[in-house]
Parts: sequence; structure tokens; C-alpha cells
Amino acid sequence: MKGKKKIHWLFVLTLVLTMFLAACNANPSSEQSSNEGSKGTEEKEEKSGEPQQGGDLVVGSIGAPTLFNDLYSTDTSSSNISDMLYDGLVIFNEKLEPEGAIAKKWEISEDGTVWTFFLNEGITFHDGEPLTADDVVFTYGIPLHKDYTGPRASDFEKIEKIEAVDEHTVKFTLKEPYAPFLSTASYGVLPEHILKDVPVGELGEHEFNTKSPVGSGPFKFEEWKEGQYVKVAANEDYYKGRPYLDSVTYKIVPDANALMAQLAAGDVHEAAVQSPDLATAKKLEDEGKINISTNLSLAYTYIGWNQKNELFQDVKVRQALTMAIDRESIIQAVLGGDGEIAHAPSSPLSWAYNKDVPKFNFNVEEAKTLLEEAGWTPGGDGILQKDGKKFSFELKTNQGNKAREQIAQIVQQQLKEIGIEVKPKIMEWSAFIDDVNAPNWNYDAVILGWSLGVDPDPTALWHSKERAEGLNFVHFSDPELDKLMEQNTKVLEQEERKQIIGEIQAGIAEQQPYTFLYYPNDHYALDVKLQGHVHHPSSEYYQIEKWWLEQ
Amino acid sequence: MLSYIIRRSLMAIPLLFGITIISFGIIHLAPGDPTALLMDPNIKPEDKVAFMEKYGLNDPMHIQYLKWVGNMLQGDFGQSLIRTGTDVSYLIVERLPNTLFLMLVSTLLAVLISIPFGIISARKPYTLTDYSVTFTSFIGLATPNFWLGLVLIMFLSVQLGWFPTGGIATLNEPFSLWDRIHHLVLPAFVLATADMAGLTRYTRTSMLDVLKQDYIRTARAKGFKERRVVYKHGLRNGLIPVITIFGLMLPSFFAGTVIVEKIFNWPGIGLLFVDAAFQRDYPVIMAVTVIAAVLTVIGNLIADILYAVFDPRIEY
Repeated sequence: MKGKKKIHWLFVLTLVLTMFLAACNANPSSEQSSNEGSKGTEEKEEKSGEPQQGGDLVVGSIGAPTLFNDLYSTDTSSSNISDMLYDGLVIFNEKLEPEGAIAKKWEISEDGTVWTFFLNEGITFHDGEPLTADDVVFTYGIPLHKDYTGPRASDFEKIEKIEAVDEHTVKFTLKEPYAPFLSTASYGVLPEHILKDVPVGELGEHEFNTKSPVGSGPFKFEEWKEGQYVKVAANEDYYKGRPYLDSVTYKIVPDANALMAQLAAGDVHEAAVQSPDLATAKKLEDEGKINISTNLSLAYTYIGWNQKNELFQDVKVRQALTMAIDRESIIQAVLGGDGEIAHAPSSPLSWAYNKDVPKFNFNVEEAKTLLEEAGWTPGGDGILQKDGKKFSFELKTNQGNKAREQIAQIVQQQLKEIGIEVKPKIMEWSAFIDDVNAPNWNYDAVILGWSLGVDPDPTALWHSKERAEGLNFVHFSDPELDKLMEQNTKVLEQEERKQIIGEIQAGIAEQQPYTFLYYPNDHYALDVKLQGHVHHPSSEYYQIEKWWLEQ
Repeated sequence: MLSYIIRRSLMAIPLLFGITIISFGIIHLAPGDPTALLMDPNIKPEDKVAFMEKYGLNDPMHIQYLKWVGNMLQGDFGQSLIRTGTDVSYLIVERLPNTLFLMLVSTLLAVLISIPFGIISARKPYTLTDYSVTFTSFIGLATPNFWLGLVLIMFLSVQLGWFPTGGIATLNEPFSLWDRIHHLVLPAFVLATADMAGLTRYTRTSMLDVLKQDYIRTARAKGFKERRVVYKHGLRNGLIPVITIFGLMLPSFFAGTVIVEKIFNWPGIGLLFVDAAFQRDYPVIMAVTVIAAVLTVIGNLIADILYAVFDPRIEY
């Protein structure tokens, strides 16, 4: 369920969230994989007990939700909660493979333009009304409506028409073959019988979203106490079986330290742990109060080089910069070793990940050679110069993310070694984004991170048409790769598409528009009594209907 | 007196408008806008433009301000730009009482503890008692709220389990007054500490001054009991400067709650304000600003009235 929304968003700035989290993401881990293995088996042993019915689970979160309707919300807290309230046609499991949810199966026409979904029978909304094909047609039709005001229209723009073939069959006709369509099909289905009379233009502000959401998910909405918690109760009639838990309370704890204290006191049973708090969490684990579940995050952290700035227009310079930065030492210093060096604009978790992209490993000598080839020679003060211009630039990142602030300082030190002057600048989030994005591009280099969607389509970040207004703010452009990107979403055969995307990743890695820093880890603290948790790369409460509390 | 209050209240009106104009200007001058949260490749640039248009954020600033003032005067603070569909007034109504309650209790706590200690210090200056009080107040003054709060949570809540770790009430339990008070103790104490230290020092200094005055000597010479000299003749005069300070402290109480609210998970208005500021949620920022300004004006008015109560020489 969680996969759903995030999935669609190809990438979401991790930062966005993290900045509000005040702390930050930077969790990473690398050699952790071996630990993980052992932890995994441990968990399995624990799981062998019979699940017990009942119990009120309290999950903690630094962020607070905004509204519970995937077609309008944009933050993780909201989507995490709506994952419990709504089910989509399909869901992506912990391996990011699609599985049926409301749809038991689906068929795709030869040419990839007609997608037919066959719904499970007997599914009801929380108010007891049956969920039928009409509800699906209604829900997925909202973003196509001309009055729709939410931010998700582009996820649905490939849809030409939606028809209910019969009560349990829905047919989507697309304008062109579109491989990522399943991620669109993971949006939660809304009840037509409640919302059909609301004008589409007013749906975004309707009180359904905040006061009385009704879905068909494992939990039903009970109460949202402003600034305190959101409580949901078990859906007795859930079509995959009643959840073991009686209720889940999503408790808002804005301070990360306070959240750790609540975990220690047993007032919160589950919470995501940000990297600065990892040491505290490990201590609690040693004391036997919690278990920590660790896995790679579907994300990467990078330094973006602004190619509007002539300093970074030469590919040799960008490659040299990457080689001059010791990423292993950054991972050690900033993340305590909890991360993996990144080389590609993807994640090892993605099926499209190409592990054989060109790599630019730490090599100061070669970096110097490349810079010399590019015409940069040491000046009198030791700083590289070319045509009387110094190699000196500003490295911006957002305040509140400790990892990125530290990276800025380390990079400053490391690049000084090869005669490049870096001036770190830490900025408040909104002002920072305003500077980075179109049409300002008022930066030289930035440290940022992307959370990736389930679908690996790289277009939104790397296509040259995304330079003018989109998120290709480093101004990367390669006509060959543009063509491959246009092609990739039209190829339905996964192996073939993987080849294409792999080529795109290799092309990008070769040109180093970013210096890919690392793939971070996600950590969840779980009360020792909490069982049945499955670590999902992008869905915190994945399969929460199967979680249970030992009593 | 009544006419003074009315006059002061009328004078506050242009002041409040001035505050809203300046605040409105400052928050809109800050770089960035609410769409910074829409940094998501699946959200198209057109959608961001549509968002700005829909909420009139591209209008000239004076037009935006006039619209805002017009609605505000009719009691409409608008809707949150981030939490679409949620009225700002709902957020304020839900959260303001929590903050006021916390402020009230911690203010009382600060006054009840610091004034007696200040008097004790002043009565026995440069003795061990005085030094202990002074020393303790400086520790209180120097201890950051967030640190003290976390330490208390770690020891009293997590280790000893005497107090809840945060929030205003126990989850999944029916309302009980005792439970509310139990949750209030730590945050109110932490919020009170910094101000307690200051108030103690002010009370001490002011009382020391007063106790040296001729009329105190006269009172003693008349054979009044020491208690009466200190508390009736001394305290009344000694508290006048303290009241001034106290009036000025109200806005800082507001600021102090932000940190305490965050650490103690207290759903108050300070936290709402800080989040709104980071997210550029203009309607929420403005609503909280107006309320804080009104409360500050009222606080100062109360301080002025208290002067008259404590000092019969002052007449309005």
C-alpha cells in the first residue's frame, strides 16, 4: 500500500520531508548487509510464534499528516496513513514487485495500450457499501477532469478512457503503451457513493479528506486529534482478513530526541530512526527494548554540478571532482559506515539497477591529471586557475540535515587537497529550493538526495526537456539518452526495458552530472513485542494487517 | 481607570495593523513559497503555477494584503496552504488553549517560586542563603530549555517512570484531570525555569533597593513587625519594577513555548507557527502573528493596570 503512491512519484525529494524532520536522512549502511542477514533470521525465529489477536499499536512519527486522499496529498505522513485506510488496484511488495490488491489479476493487450483489471469480489468500503468497478472508474477519472486541482494529474495523463466492463472488471485505454502504468494503478480507490455529488473542483478541500475518509483498507479512520495523533481501528471485514491489531495510533512526536525517549519508555512501539539517532537506537537494542530493522533505502544522496556554470561544463572536470572526493571516508565519517558508495542514478533495490556503469573511484592523482588536461593549473596561492579565473565555488545544502552539512565540510577539505576552493553554504529549505529550481538556478553545486519511485523511469530528472521548468536543474543534456528515455516507458517487456534504462544509467554515470555519493539505509525501531513486521523499501506500514503485539 | 483602558485599547488598533503590515511584508519577502514542498518529479511545473494562481500568491503584495485584512476583519483567517481543506481558525482553536494553559501554569509557577526566593535573598543579602539562591538562579538561567527538558524526560520519565514522556494526555484513555496535570508538570516546570531565574534576580535587586529606603526605616522605627514591614511596605513598592519586566516577558514566554512544545510533544500554537514558517504557510503564520500580537498588547495593558493596583501614587 505504501508502495502505491510513492511508487508513482518517481522520485521524491527526501529532503523535503527530512527538512521538516529537522534531523535528517543520511542513514546508510553498508557493510550492514551481513548484519542484516543475521537480523533477518532472528526476526524469523521470533515470528514463528502464533500471531495473537488484539492490542493497540502506537507508531511514532516526526512529521504530521495533511490530509488523507492520495490524489491531493504530497507528504509521506499522509500517504503512510492513507496506506492503512485505502487499497489500490495493485500493490508493490517488499521486493517492489506488483501484486494484486483490489484487483486479483490484470491483463495487458498486445500493443500495451489496453489494461484490464479483474477485481476481487465481495470487497466493501468501511461503511459497508460494496466496492465495484464504478468506484474505480470514478476515482481514476478525478485527475482527468478539467476542474481537478490536485498535483497528480501527470500520473494519469496517459489514460485515454476508463470503462467498467462489468461490476468487477475495469478497462483502461491508454494513449500510448506505458510501462509504468501499474504504479498509477496503486492509487487508493475512493467511494463513489459518498463523493459523486461533490464538484471535482472542490474535492481537494472537502472534509472527506480530513474528517471522514472512507476506504477499503485494513484500518478505518477513527479520529484525528490536531497535533497529537491519528487513530485508526481494525476493519473487521477486510477482504484479506481482519488485522491482528485492534487499532493503530499514529502519534506525532516532532522532536527526534523525544521520539527516542518515547521508544525507550515503551510509549511508542514503532518509528523510523534517522541516522543521527542511530547510536541511541542501538543502545536501546542492546538493552533489549527494541529491535532495529535495517535495509537499503530506495534513495541516493548526491552532489549536483550546475552546468550553467562554466566551471562544470567540462565532463573531465566533473569526473575529476568525483575522483577527488573520497566517498568511503564520507560514509565512515557521516554515517558511521552505514551506507554504500553510489555510482548510478538508481538504487541496488531497483530491478532496473545497472551495476556495471562506469565508475570513478577515489584517485587524487588521476583527478589532478584530468584537471590539467582540462586546462586547470595551480596558481601562486595553490588554487587551480584557468585563464586567470580561480577554481572556487559555493556548495549549497539545506539546513537541518546534519549529514549533508557534514558532507559539505568534508568535501571542502578534500577538494582543497587538489587546489579547489569550496565555500559551503547551509540554507533554510524553502529559500534553498527557490535558489536551486527553475528559473533561478542560483547555485554552483548542491548536496541533495532523491527518494526513488518504484518505477525506474529516469525522464523527470534527466531528460533535456526538463531543464526549462522541471527538475533537471543541473542542465544535463544528451540527445542520445533523451531518445532512450522517450523509448523506455513504451517498452513493456521488462528485460528489454532494463537494457534501455541500464544504458541510460551508464550514459549518465559516464558524464557525472552528479557525483553520486551513497545509497543510504533505512532503519525502523520496533518494540520487542511487535511481530510480523516486513521491511519494505518505501512503505513504512507495509502489510500492517499482519503485524501483531505479543501480550 | 475605565477611560484609560478604553483609550489604551483604541491606541492598540493602529499598532496591531502596523504589526500585520510589517509581518505580512517580511514573510512574503522571504525567499521561497509553499511549492517548495512539491519537489517531486511527478508534479509538473504547470501544477505549481496553478497552485500559486489558485491561492492568489502571484497577485501584487498590497492586493494580497488587502484581501487578507478584509477576510480577517470578518473573522476569516482562510485555509492552510499546506493542509488544504483545513481552516486556519480550526488549527488555532484546537491549539491555542493548550499553549495558553501551559503558559498560564508556568507563569504562575514562576511567580510563586521566584518572588518568595527573591525576597528571601533580599532580606539576607550576602549570606549563604542569598548565595545559594543566586547560584541556583544562574544555573536556571544558563540551562537551555531543550537540554533540561530532555534530561528530565530521560530521568524522571524513562528511567523512573514518574511522569509521562510527553503529550497532553494518555493515549486511548478517557479524560481525567489528574492525567492532564500529570502531563503538565514537566513542561510547565521547564518553561518556568529560565524566567524563574530572571524574576528571582529582579525581585532581589528591587527589594534590596526598597528595603534601604527611609520609609522602611520609619516603619521599623514605629515598631512594626518585620513581616509587616517587608511584605506590606516593602513588597508593594519592590514589585513595581518586577511588573514592568513581567509585562515584557509575555512575548518571550510565547517564544519559549516553541521549544518546550516540541520536546514535550505538546500540541500548541508555537509548534504550529514554526512549521508554518518553514513551509511558508502564509495564512497560518499571519493568524498566529495576529494572536500573539493581541496577547502581547493585552499583557502590557494588564501590567499597566497592575501598576495602579500596587502603587496608589499612580493614577490613570
